[in-house]
Amino acid sequence: MFLVIFLYIAFLAFIGFSLKKAYDFAKMPMHGRWELYPVPKEKGRGEYGGSYLEETKWYEKPRETSLVAEIIDMAKEIIFIKKLFDNQRPFWWLSYSMHLGIYAMIAWLVLLFLAVFIDSSLLNGLIALAGGAGIIMVMIGSIGLLIKRMVNPEFKMYTTGLEYFNLFFLFAVAFTGFLCFITDPMFQYGHDMMGSMLTFFPFAPSALVTLHLVLAGAVIIYIPLTKMSHYVGKFFSFHKVLWDNDPYLPGNEIAEKVAAGKSYKQKGQWSAPHYPGNQKIEN
Amino acid sequence: MSKPQDVQLSTPNLADYMELPAPYNTIESQPALKEPKGSWTESNITFLDGYAGIENLVRPKTKEEEREFVEKFLSGMEKSFSDDTNRGMIMPLLLSFEYCAKCHTCSEGCHVYPASGYNELYRPIYRSEVFRRIAKKYLDKDGKLIKKWDENDPDLNWETLARLAELAYRCNLCRRCAQQCPLGLDNALLAKEIRKIFSQEMGIAPKPLHEKGTMNQLKTGSSTGMSKPAFLDVIEFIEEDIEEKTGRKIKMPIDKKGADILLIHNAGEFMAWPQNPAAFAILFEEAGLDWTLSSDILGYDSVNYGLWYDDYQAKQIGTGQFKVAKELGVNRIIIGECGHAHRASMVSMDRGATGSYYVPRESFLPLLWDLVRTGKLKFDPSKNNFPVTLHDPCNYVRSMGIVKPQREILKVIAPQFREMTPHGVDNYCCGGGGGFAIMNNLNFAEFRNTLSTRMKFKQILDAFADTIENTEIPKYICAPCSNCKGAIRDILEYYGATAKYNLQYDGLVELMVNGLASLDRPYLEFLLDEED
Ligand code: SF4
Ligand code: SF4
Repeated sequence: MFLVIFLYIAFLAFIGFSLKKAYDFAKMPMHGRWELYPVPKEKGRGEYGGSYLEETKWYEKPRETSLVAEIIDMAKEIIFIKKLFDNQRPFWWLSYSMHLGIYAMIAWLVLLFLAVFIDSSLLNGLIALAGGAGIIMVMIGSIGLLIKRMVNPEFKMYTTGLEYFNLFFLFAVAFTGFLCFITDPMFQYGHDMMGSMLTFFPFAPSALVTLHLVLAGAVIIYIPLTKMSHYVGKFFSFHKVLWDNDPYLPGNEIAEKVAAGKSYKQKGQWSAPHYPGNQKIEN
Repeated sequence: MSKPQDVQLSTPNLADYMELPAPYNTIESQPALKEPKGSWTESNITFLDGYAGIENLVRPKTKEEEREFVEKFLSGMEKSFSDDTNRGMIMPLLLSFEYCAKCHTCSEGCHVYPASGYNELYRPIYRSEVFRRIAKKYLDKDGKLIKKWDENDPDLNWETLARLAELAYRCNLCRRCAQQCPLGLDNALLAKEIRKIFSQEMGIAPKPLHEKGTMNQLKTGSSTGMSKPAFLDVIEFIEEDIEEKTGRKIKMPIDKKGADILLIHNAGEFMAWPQNPAAFAILFEEAGLDWTLSSDILGYDSVNYGLWYDDYQAKQIGTGQFKVAKELGVNRIIIGECGHAHRASMVSMDRGATGSYYVPRESFLPLLWDLVRTGKLKFDPSKNNFPVTLHDPCNYVRSMGIVKPQREILKVIAPQFREMTPHGVDNYCCGGGGGFAIMNNLNFAEFRNTLSTRMKFKQILDAFADTIENTEIPKYICAPCSNCKGAIRDILEYYGATAKYNLQYDGLVELMVNGLASLDRPYLEFLLDEED
């Protein structure tokens, strides 16, 4: 029962910490424009990297954006990690394996949830497939990345102790999961866990399953506290910085924010001599 | 980075650098590198890579001065991570600071790093990582300083910071690396934030950007030091020149209240390339536009070097420029051929310096394309019947998305137009970005001419591979940006490429005027020379 409560806490912590991170970014002051093209939402221009600034008197013309183009671009990135695929193929194989494995594990959880209500051998097969493939992919990806970072001088030079630890932690979860999988290929323990989580009926996992689930819970709590929470960062980097090209136009939302920002009284001051009041008085 | 200052981290060597295409594919065909010399090599720092770009980055004389130097940097770093003192950039900074996965996807995107033969110092994340490690050690998660400098810190001393300051000026801020990052992170932004700490907190910045740049501009009206009377003289000279070259009598409108357009040039054009503002005047008059120039302080120079190193300076200049336009009562500002002025005025200052001084700003490119498209300007493309390639200025292409109008114009006026590879938003920086084009101080020009512009020179040579050896054929690099043009001028001079291979350069408007159907003689100097 403690395990079930711990898993609930882990999921809630994951959601809570991730939302807190997103909230912290969202409440930051409006930043200066720092867009970078291509901006996919630019209707008819996103493909080649154009923008509304290619028009004369653009400020008098309606802004044309395409949510579909933006979603397609995002989907390519989320599903395939396209930029990595295009520009850094050797790294992509490992990173993609790990990420795809994580997606498969999320699918595994959803399928287990459905299996509580639907008794289907197809569903059970899919659970075994998603869980097995997911755990193997996370395991290969995490150990592959760990080894790559340890032996390739280019990567080793930039990798910190914490980054090794993060990969090792993911590997430990995947490895214990793999051991569970080979002893229980149809994931009976997964069905039991999900059933117990929904009914609060105790379930009695083996020592190995307990170890795996404790580690999994811990990593779920840990991820949003580290830079592995880049699923949050990535949203803000693209949507709120690189693709944020909304202009100031009198009366628009940006103008309102600019006006509101003007009332802010700065408390600190930079110290260089060209700032007002910082000039040294020469005797 | 913290090694003693008698250790230079790398030594420039042409043999290590990326190979250039023929006819510059041998080391002998390239000018030899020079040994740094001069008293500044003693006082300034060359112990990063043999180059120096910052005059007032000088060695502390005592341990006390070193402590003051390091602590000032740390306090600047704290201000950089504060939503009070860095409101306008805190979110982008934190994202790029926090999330780097060290996947090296950005490395190949950079032009400097491969051009250097993969010198680790120039890898996009190298400087970011040095900065990150100092910040992680001295700041808490809220960006507050947690300790004073520990003199025995093996990683942080005067040498580390001096190298970091110089290293921030080995990045063109072109943002090509950011385009490739799967997490949307931007090492250019981090380089700029490092520059900001040195400038805004410590008063340390290259002289051409600060003292002779923004400070000069705020004092005299232009970073060239050109005062109002000097500006008016130049205009008179340009008018005479137009008449001499084209037979047209044009009175360039100045301070015309209520004009539709205020045209602002990079004042460097008036000094180095007067044929550029002249070409604008010819085109605007031929199209019958209602336009004016301004002779007001800050009204005749569109540049804003603050963009590269100091937000405060940028805002002061940006606000001043908008104020001039507002007071003239124009409908809109049109920015001439200057990439960073485009970005400063239309994007960077858009949320900071607008408000009561709001005046719409536009690029000259869509306006000119409209004039071409609607037939207000008519061309005889046979006048431009020589190979032409186009350089894409990072600032208004990659950072603003103005990609098509210039190409559409070239397709009409230049029958032998060919693209560089890659081009458009994927272009490579000219190597003069981020202030480098005007940094001819100390021995910095050699770094620019041999390394930061190397990829662009390669692209240019590749674009003209079919005719490069034929000196009869002029080959025109169209660089519609003052700074890019300056960097390209310097490469051509450095390699003697104009004299040896007839490689020519200038902007877009000069090529347009040269192709005007109504003009009875060539406008481009090198064609006139040919006729003689
Ligand atoms: S591509 Fe992005 S995440 Fe990868 S090393 Fe470069 S900045 Fe870091
Ligand atoms: S901004 Fe440009 S020069 Fe600087 S690291 Fe990135 S690609 Fe290289």
